[in-house]
Amino acid sequence: MSMLYDEGQQAIATESRRVLDARVGKDRLLALLEKTGEFDQAFWDTAVEQGWTALAIPEEHGGLGLSLVELGLVAQASGAATAGAPFLTFGYGAARALIDGSDKDAAANWLPKLASGEALGTVAFAEGSTPLPPVAAVTFDGGKLSGTKPAVAGGLKADFAIVWANAGGKPVLVLAELAGADRKAVSSYDNSRLYADLTFAGTPATVLAEGDAARALALDVLARMAVVTAHEQTGGAEALLHTARDYAVTRKAFGQPIGAFQSIKHRIAEMYGLVEIARANCIHAAASEGKDNFLIAAADARIAATDGYDTASRDCVQIHGGIGVTWELGLHLHMRRARSLAVELGNLYFWEDLLVEQLTGEAA
Amino acid sequence: MSELEAYRSKAQAWLESMAPKYAREARRGMTVEEELALGREFQALKYEAGYAGINWPTDFGGQGLTHLHKITYDALEMNYGMPTVFFGISLGMPVPILMRFGLGENKEHAAWVKERVVKALRGEEIWCQLFSEPAGGSDLAGLRTRAEPEGNGWKMNGQKIWTSWAQYCDYGVIVVRTDPTVEKHKGLTYFWVDMKAKGVDVRPIKLAGGDSHVNEVFFDDVRLEDSQRMSPVGGGFGVALATLMIERYIATDSGGFGPALDVFVDLVKDLEINGRPALKDARVRQQIARNHSMRAGLESITSRAFQMMMAGMEPGPEGSLQKLVAVRSRQKLSELAMDLQGNLGLDFDPHAYVKEDWGASWLNAPTGRIAGGSDEVLLNTIAEKILGLPQDHRPDKGVAFNQIPA
Repeated sequence: MSMLYDEGQQAIATESRRVLDARVGKDRLLALLEKTGEFDQAFWDTAVEQGWTALAIPEEHGGLGLSLVELGLVAQASGAATAGAPFLTFGYGAARALIDGSDKDAAANWLPKLASGEALGTVAFAEGSTPLPPVAAVTFDGGKLSGTKPAVAGGLKADFAIVWANAGGKPVLVLAELAGADRKAVSSYDNSRLYADLTFAGTPATVLAEGDAARALALDVLARMAVVTAHEQTGGAEALLHTARDYAVTRKAFGQPIGAFQSIKHRIAEMYGLVEIARANCIHAAASEGKDNFLIAAADARIAATDGYDTASRDCVQIHGGIGVTWELGLHLHMRRARSLAVELGNLYFWEDLLVEQLTGEAA
Repeated sequence: MSELEAYRSKAQAWLESMAPKYAREARRGMTVEEELALGREFQALKYEAGYAGINWPTDFGGQGLTHLHKITYDALEMNYGMPTVFFGISLGMPVPILMRFGLGENKEHAAWVKERVVKALRGEEIWCQLFSEPAGGSDLAGLRTRAEPEGNGWKMNGQKIWTSWAQYCDYGVIVVRTDPTVEKHKGLTYFWVDMKAKGVDVRPIKLAGGDSHVNEVFFDDVRLEDSQRMSPVGGGFGVALATLMIERYIATDSGGFGPALDVFVDLVKDLEINGRPALKDARVRQQIARNHSMRAGLESITSRAFQMMMAGMEPGPEGSLQKLVAVRSRQKLSELAMDLQGNLGLDFDPHAYVKEDWGASWLNAPTGRIAGGSDEVLLNTIAEKILGLPQDHRPDKGVAFNQIPA
């Protein structure tokens, strides 16, 4: 299953690129790096105004009822500009947990607010190096959550979180309002992601799914977020490909453009290959939403895009030489984002194991 | 069911009916000559059934269908391993070029060309492509085989190399130098040549994998009539490029024409590393995952190219990644599969099929990375043609061929 973008989808891609080009500036992004606890409010206002928060939420809940394909295209444009707030991905993850969870009242309450941008949601599954721990350290008992989820993206400003927890040996997916949690800002190499340690001490929470259903829902939410992120990573990698290419045709050394040296041009050609393979995987994954092979397609996209963005940021800086490592040029915005996105959605060890388990039936 | 789906299922049924006699299983243990004889038989049946020259004009014995029909059929046929390898180049490049450039100024050769085309489609005659030379593979325009005017025709001398199936060929298309005093691209002319003519000497080259499908071809005072000329004098490079541009979108294989990833997984399922199931080993899992992701990407590119063609659009240039990426990774995956088998993987059958056997896949992979555009040339092409990066420094640029330092 793969697809061609239709006219409406192409218009979303073009329009989101145009808006972000006009409203996202390198200076603001660079300044944000040195501030803990702030994010790109101007980007988020744009996201709300453009209806990106509503894109993939069903119409009956105040959304636009579009799919992962459209949201992916916006994420791709955001990735190219290193724009973005964690809520584009994590707010979507929270919405999906509500849409497919069992608490219809919570869905009716929060989904319209997520769609309108009035509320911010996030997803708190990971603990340490494990994106979805087999047995969570955070516990759920008698309607209350206890324990800490470390460095949750968006955790500092979100109104609520979807939390992966352990209820007496059985996994649960619950919704907790964060007003009742302790939040400690985490200073990071990519500060605008609003990372916070969330500590729950008897925080009230409502159940969205339990047992096997909780695990299946959590995996689906994670895979969907991974597909959005893969688009963002691909957008970033493609921007770096163009930057590297443009520099290689203008910068001269030894009497010719450096792009005439095969050590440079082949590196850029390899980058092109990684970008196109990541893009093709993203399109395939977004078009496979809701299908049997979705987890496989999502893992494929996650792997290709993570590898592509990391490699592109490494190589693009290298091709620039000294100027590439300056604060002012800002390539480090991509270096940082490539790593934060690689980690936020779970390292590749997790996705490789998940993919092989899906393909062979053999768990790691 | 769409028209194309109906076509696919009809073709599938036909191939199924042919399989017992002609497919891979039926040919195990045969010599190359036996396979060729069976291949000619299959090709004739294929012609009768309307699966030869699928997208060629009906005027020349083709079916007049679309390119999509052709790649639909080719992808199916590939699964059966039919004995068509001998005709792949013949029908892929030289014969289409003959139809385009061999008719003569006033189509005076049209009847002769049609006769050749039908015989080629039926597998009765085979054509080769005589481009590469010892001094010019990637640097095609650096070729040295020369043709000099002789009476109202030409006299050809020189040597070609890596010519696939030349030992079984009846005709070939050839680029030669007719003027060494001008720039290298400008002194070339394109002809067809009778491979049985006096002075043509074909010598098979045994490759590392043990087979001998490529040849050296020597020309010693070979007579060419001027009617065999398929380009203007000095205009041969353009026709050569046209030859190489044909069929940019052929049936591809994300496995690099080696074993499918399922074959790897099946192998690993029965193996152990240090007393643990190999499938539990993180190194093995990582390779399965990485290869799957890469192949899925290539398959999505192919699928989208197909959809674009169905929608009447030109597919994107990303299709040019297929061979580069797929064959390179097939080579590494083959090494891994051999490692995993340990001493048991030392057992080697030189006649094993590359899509089934890891040793055969590994030993023949380097050919795949060199033939039809080496990895390095493909990377240059992507960099220059798609990304607009500068050409390499070329000291022979603007220099007459006979002034280029040897």
